[in-house]
Amino acid sequence: MGEMASVDITEDEAQLYDRQIRLWGLESQKRLRKARVLVIGARGFGAEVCKNIILAGVKSVTIMDHGVVDEQDFCSQFLVPRSEIGKNRAEASLERAQELNPMVEITADKEKIDDKPDSFFGNFDVVCATECTTAQFLHLDNVCRENNIKFFCGDVYGFFGYIFLDLQIQEFMEEVTTITNTHEPTGEPLAKKRKTEKTVQNTKGTETYVPLQDALDVDWTSESYAKRLKRMDPSYFVMKALLKFCDKKGRKPSPSEREKDIESLKEFVKEELTKQKIREDFVPELLLKDVFAEISPVCAIMGGITAQEIIKTVSQKERPHNNIFFFNPLKCIGYSACFGV
Amino acid sequence: MAASIAGVFENDLQQAINSSKVFVVGAGGIGCEILKNLVMSGFNDIEIIDLDTIDVSNLNRQFLFHKQHVGKSKAEVARESALSFNPTVNIKAYHDSTMSADYGVNFFKRFAVVMNALDNRMARNHVNRMCLAADVPLIESGTAGYEGQVELIKKQLTQCYECLPKAPQKTYPGCTIRNTPSEPIHCIVWSKHLFNQLFGENDPDMDVSPDTADPDAAGDAGMAALKGEANDQGNVTRVTTREWAVKSNYDPEKLFRKLFHDDIKYLLSMGNLWKNRTPPKPLVFGEVPDAVAGCSNETDAVLKDQKIWSVAECVEIFSSSCRNLYSQQQRLDLGDNLVWDKDDKDAMDFVASCANIRAYIFGIPQKSRFDIKSMAGNIIPAIATSNAIVAGLVVLKAFYVLRGQLENCQSVYLRNKPNHKNVQIVPEACLVEPNSKCYVCSPKHEQMGVVNGSILKADDFLQNYELNIVIVQRCLTRDGPLFEIIGSETAKPGSPEKLQPENGQTDDDDDVVHVIDGESTSNATSSIRKRKLET
Repeated sequence: MGEMASVDITEDEAQLYDRQIRLWGLESQKRLRKARVLVIGARGFGAEVCKNIILAGVKSVTIMDHGVVDEQDFCSQFLVPRSEIGKNRAEASLERAQELNPMVEITADKEKIDDKPDSFFGNFDVVCATECTTAQFLHLDNVCRENNIKFFCGDVYGFFGYIFLDLQIQEFMEEVTTITNTHEPTGEPLAKKRKTEKTVQNTKGTETYVPLQDALDVDWTSESYAKRLKRMDPSYFVMKALLKFCDKKGRKPSPSEREKDIESLKEFVKEELTKQKIREDFVPELLLKDVFAEISPVCAIMGGITAQEIIKTVSQKERPHNNIFFFNPLKCIGYSACFGV
Repeated sequence: MAASIAGVFENDLQQAINSSKVFVVGAGGIGCEILKNLVMSGFNDIEIIDLDTIDVSNLNRQFLFHKQHVGKSKAEVARESALSFNPTVNIKAYHDSTMSADYGVNFFKRFAVVMNALDNRMARNHVNRMCLAADVPLIESGTAGYEGQVELIKKQLTQCYECLPKAPQKTYPGCTIRNTPSEPIHCIVWSKHLFNQLFGENDPDMDVSPDTADPDAAGDAGMAALKGEANDQGNVTRVTTREWAVKSNYDPEKLFRKLFHDDIKYLLSMGNLWKNRTPPKPLVFGEVPDAVAGCSNETDAVLKDQKIWSVAECVEIFSSSCRNLYSQQQRLDLGDNLVWDKDDKDAMDFVASCANIRAYIFGIPQKSRFDIKSMAGNIIPAIATSNAIVAGLVVLKAFYVLRGQLENCQSVYLRNKPNHKNVQIVPEACLVEPNSKCYVCSPKHEQMGVVNGSILKADDFLQNYELNIVIVQRCLTRDGPLFEIIGSETAKPGSPEKLQPENGQTDDDDDVVHVIDGESTSNATSSIRKRKLET
């Protein structure tokens, strides 16, 4: 984290942040206040992440997006006014983003990631990227690793969403509840009174993360991974197929190409499963049909989960996910699993 | 919006969204998020209700509101902000209580789905009953800190909100509050009662003077002696705290002497109370310690409100807040009273200082104003992310409801820590069937085992009354009535404004109640007593 002298929370801030300070404590709030966050990609998912971290009271948010506002944004991107269609998405989001919390410095950046020197990213403590190609995600992860920047990347496709975390080495404090059973003999050998005691302790923890490349390069034919397949949710393969789709087609699945894109996606899934020697029906087809635009309630879920992970990371309180969190809309389940270790 | 772009949704969902009329109950943390999700998804016909106005402490998560909106109606401002996302959407906003008679069963029948975004049990019970009566699907949800849950309530398909008894709100015995506090919360409750005795609506259940009927105090001879001791006015008869305060012109020093000296000495005279307890130490107004035991010198480690006051500081704050509250009271219309509000500086200062003075007297550790506000105000910490996640889940479930796929509406929980399988958003496997004995939603009338001497607790459907009904069996006379009321304590009708606007405050005030329906199984007569709600 950037080094900075501890600054007092003002009366105004204490009032505004009262309900959250009562939850995560003053120290966490002070750490949030120092955090500089870069949010790459300002569609629905990005907008939700921005909203949540701005409300939480980080020091600054830079919203980076070279694209322009289009119809699809109106499915879930509530920071851009309808009148701004055709304008740069980051700039169009600025006004409403600032209204969320005047105490946060918010800037818009219209440039492309590929045009930015690596040193640019050194201005941030956290980078959260969406709407990128796999190559861009990998490049960003590398740059962040080299500069001790906490890295998040992911996407929402229709009703499906995932977020990958690379926090390199994350140290944190967590509350650990231990339940101990104590026996109290009462004279007779058969009559023993059992008491349970619950103690809550603040303990230090560490999580170590692998680079994105490792998480994406899992060999499912290997013994350890093949074992995991038995009870595994198929979301990992949905993510891989969608990444492949974007890399190959240069775009996310499009509502106007719904039927065709679903077929393409099924093909990409089939390719990956075959390559990994996994049975074809591992991924239910139902999971592949609602992957269009970014659906607002799912952006809200993923944006909430992601922002909370960013908050955990910056405040070093509680254990963050390691290393991919998925939302599977068919089962309505949100879980994390570790890949690439 | 999503439902206006072909190919985003499957046809049936797109049509359902475009044509459904939906109702959001509450425009706070979850309500703002739900409203945003509904508008962005393409709903065209939304109604939203909230009785509350916007407070600055809402702004960390109720993102449709900004600083300039403080004091305005939540429902109305939420509507305006949401309109900026889609100017053509129809949103009707009601700045009103959902429990008002204006929103009856026919009102609820108009909606394809109702989504609760409430923060108190009474309103949830009410909407539960309305939706059951109207047979409209209800999506219930809630958050607390990092956690939350979403569940579907549908008549005869799932459990209703009242199928399972909910934990009653914690209450404390009167003698603990009045005579033998041992924890900070006892002192805080006492101070809130004191506020009401002095400035608020008079309530005999909130007496603050020593309780001579305390069973622990039985057998004290010394009591009589002190009882005869003349007080300030030279008057030996007991007067109410309020009368006494009025006669003393609310002079802080006189109030202090009575509450923190004379009444304490009275308690000390009840020797039995102190056989196994640390006796309280009466305080003299000008002679209180001004150092804080164990305080640290770190000034920016804590918020101003998190510092522990010295007793001397407490006395000063007690005096000034008392004077300010007295002025506030003087400015009221005749017959009006102050209502305790945790966000009113003087009201909060008063309770915090009194609680700490009392705690000091009884050797109980003192608390900061920050912590006292949490306890006195029942504050539930709240953040944006939990509300965003839960509201997202609510609208996803609403999609299933509108498509007629209720079997996909199992409950879902947001957990602070992932479980052993690393699941953080945890779905239930299946819908939970209604409780066949539920007095609210069960269609059948089960045998309730009412016998002579049974005491039944009841409330009316609209929760205006809570009654204890004692069943006494008599022989049925040939032409006599099936039942008769043979006794009743004078009952005040429940005030319709009982549900105060509460920012983020829960108001759990029910015990488990049972309703008698129709005639009881024995020919009985009953007496009815109104039971007051405790706060």
